[in-house]
Amino acid sequence: MYHLLPFNFTNIDNNDVLINELGDLLVTPAGTAKSIILHELEEDTDLYKTLVSNYFITKDPLPSTFAIYAERLAEKKRFLDDKTSLHLFVLTLRCNQRCSYCQASSLDSSCQNVTMTQHCLKRAVDLMFESPSNHLTMEFQGGEPSLEPKLLRIGIEYALKKNEEEKRDLTFVLCSNCIDITEEVLDICKQFDVLVSTSLDGPEWLHNNNRGKHNSYKKVINGISIVRNVLGQDRVSALMTTSVLSLKYPLEIVDEYVSQGFNDIFLRSLNPYGLAKNNDNWDDYIEQFISFYIKALDYIIDLNKRGIFIRENFTSIILRKILTPWNSGFVDLQSPAGIVNSVLVYNYDGKVYASDESRMLAEHGDLTFCLGSIDDDYDQLIFSLKTRKWADLWNNEVLAGCSSCPYKSYCGADPVRNYSTQGDMYGFRPTSLVCKKNYAIINHIIRLLVTRHSEVYPIFMSWIR
Amino acid sequence: MCCQPPKDNDDIDELFEQNIQKILGAPKNINYIGITGGEPTLLGDKLPTLISLIREKLPDTHIHILSNGRLFSSPEYASNVVSVGDWMISFGIPLHSDYENDHNLIAGNNRAYQETLYGLYNLAMNSSAIELRIVINNMNYKRLPQISQFILKNLSFVSWISFIGMERIGNADTLDKHIWVEPKLYIPYLTEACQNLSMAGYDVRIYNIPLCLLPPTAHIFAFQSISEWKKYFLKECDPCLMREKCCGLFATSSKPFCGINPILHQE
Repeated sequence: MYHLLPFNFTNIDNNDVLINELGDLLVTPAGTAKSIILHELEEDTDLYKTLVSNYFITKDPLPSTFAIYAERLAEKKRFLDDKTSLHLFVLTLRCNQRCSYCQASSLDSSCQNVTMTQHCLKRAVDLMFESPSNHLTMEFQGGEPSLEPKLLRIGIEYALKKNEEEKRDLTFVLCSNCIDITEEVLDICKQFDVLVSTSLDGPEWLHNNNRGKHNSYKKVINGISIVRNVLGQDRVSALMTTSVLSLKYPLEIVDEYVSQGFNDIFLRSLNPYGLAKNNDNWDDYIEQFISFYIKALDYIIDLNKRGIFIRENFTSIILRKILTPWNSGFVDLQSPAGIVNSVLVYNYDGKVYASDESRMLAEHGDLTFCLGSIDDDYDQLIFSLKTRKWADLWNNEVLAGCSSCPYKSYCGADPVRNYSTQGDMYGFRPTSLVCKKNYAIINHIIRLLVTRHSEVYPIFMSWIR
Repeated sequence: MCCQPPKDNDDIDELFEQNIQKILGAPKNINYIGITGGEPTLLGDKLPTLISLIREKLPDTHIHILSNGRLFSSPEYASNVVSVGDWMISFGIPLHSDYENDHNLIAGNNRAYQETLYGLYNLAMNSSAIELRIVINNMNYKRLPQISQFILKNLSFVSWISFIGMERIGNADTLDKHIWVEPKLYIPYLTEACQNLSMAGYDVRIYNIPLCLLPPTAHIFAFQSISEWKKYFLKECDPCLMREKCCGLFATSSKPFCGINPILHQE
């Protein structure tokens, strides 16, 4: 008689898809889950052997190689050992654009008192180095952080100076719309090996429409080409945000990324923060986003079949979780959640937040996810009463509606999103739109692996290896 | 299925002395020393002694150890052997199946699977290079694709994976009907396994299987693995255009593989 190890399951296209705690996935004949549970499996069949060797069932109460199971689970949760590594510095709220869906509470570039002081910036860098993480990513955000080249330089130089002693693995990222990128900013990026992350929403007319400016597209494209020339082709990446208008143009958006020479596209939905919260009907939007995503992904797979290498980043993240022994490093799909564990945000006004979304809530007057101030002690911030309360709610393994979900190993917990959209941090999965979207997309990716395996598997492997 | 069946007599001390003398007398420009057996870890502490002597006398020589890996399930022993080899040491360790009972049946020991896997993890924890060796036989060939998936998930740290065609000699020959399998039966499984691993970016090699038995898509994995002194070709091979690139056949096998057929078109 065999014993069961923890796993969840679902049915796709008349197959039982079994997924264990390690994220290992098996496609088995319909009815397999039931026979496992009723102990009706015949021993020493090929299916039985596969279930044993993949840690779904075990002959002894604990598998003889249990230490390997434990090590593999630890690997999936390695981000916890890595500690807080992503540190966002909101240098200013000033911005030189006025995007229709702005999530970052940006203000006009002439605004006063919305920029970080030098004291505040240095103190934030000090806090970053209090994190025990060996890898520290210092990501500059805004508003438009390139409007503050002096702060950029001061922050980076101060961090590098401290790092002479600290010897951490330091990465710098500048999130910029690239529309007015100056010589001064380019010099900083070149000198300090800064990665540039920009945004491109699609073809000219669509991008300009989203950005509320008639010449934004030309400027971004020009900016991208300048950055590529000075820093190198692979030193700039682009993100897209799917506006309500974008929903009708999945193919055109993908084509734009291909023609601009990008190998990556990240199909991102709007999120319900900041100005974007006033957007139309969220239920409709999410529904349409899911179809948009599926159409775009199908098209991307077709392009790959025709020899054009372009990968969709959300799919790549999920595939890494399914097909490799590693996790993805993507803080939005983590359990325990990315807030505090992996991310901290230092706002222009000296406040410290649990995540980017947390400070966006604060811009609307809600300080729920404010951890304190940069003058506080690091340990006080990290181990605050607030954090301890969130810690009860940031593991999807123990949340109703998540713990029984077949895809929990690939998804994450997000108390901030639950709070901002549903008013409570625990969240109610049956009406959660985040849940609806993640479930539908993960389900689609797995469906592709099940129903079009020989066609998509080589392409998917090329995205993640 | 061992091709060099174990002997009962204790030859460790005698061979150890001979090997010490060989190392002391070896020319300094040897690129590579292979340590094999029997099971070299049965030397116990004499193995690290031997390795540190090689390291001292032949500082630039790479050492490759063929072992069943079971004794490396002791973290101390694994760490000791790797560190005396100064990391210029690699290990060829066999995995017979992803399924415990099958592996144990083939290895003839009911702790083999657990100890070999723990041994592999301990070697990996010490950052050593590992060749995973899968000797294809009648008891494991149908699970080669499952074995490849198992490697992707559980043994992702190995440096390369060798799929090895059997030499028809020793136990492989005498236990013929349980062990022996003709390549033509396992080629589809083997090809799928190689492709799974190769797609994921792993270095995959096929040893001891002539090119004419493999589909052209699997030729990139094939190695000229048979030593010159053991290698021969059949008369049928005379017109073959791929002879130069082929591993040939074992002169030491009691019978050649079925289905040897010259390749008459250029690839």
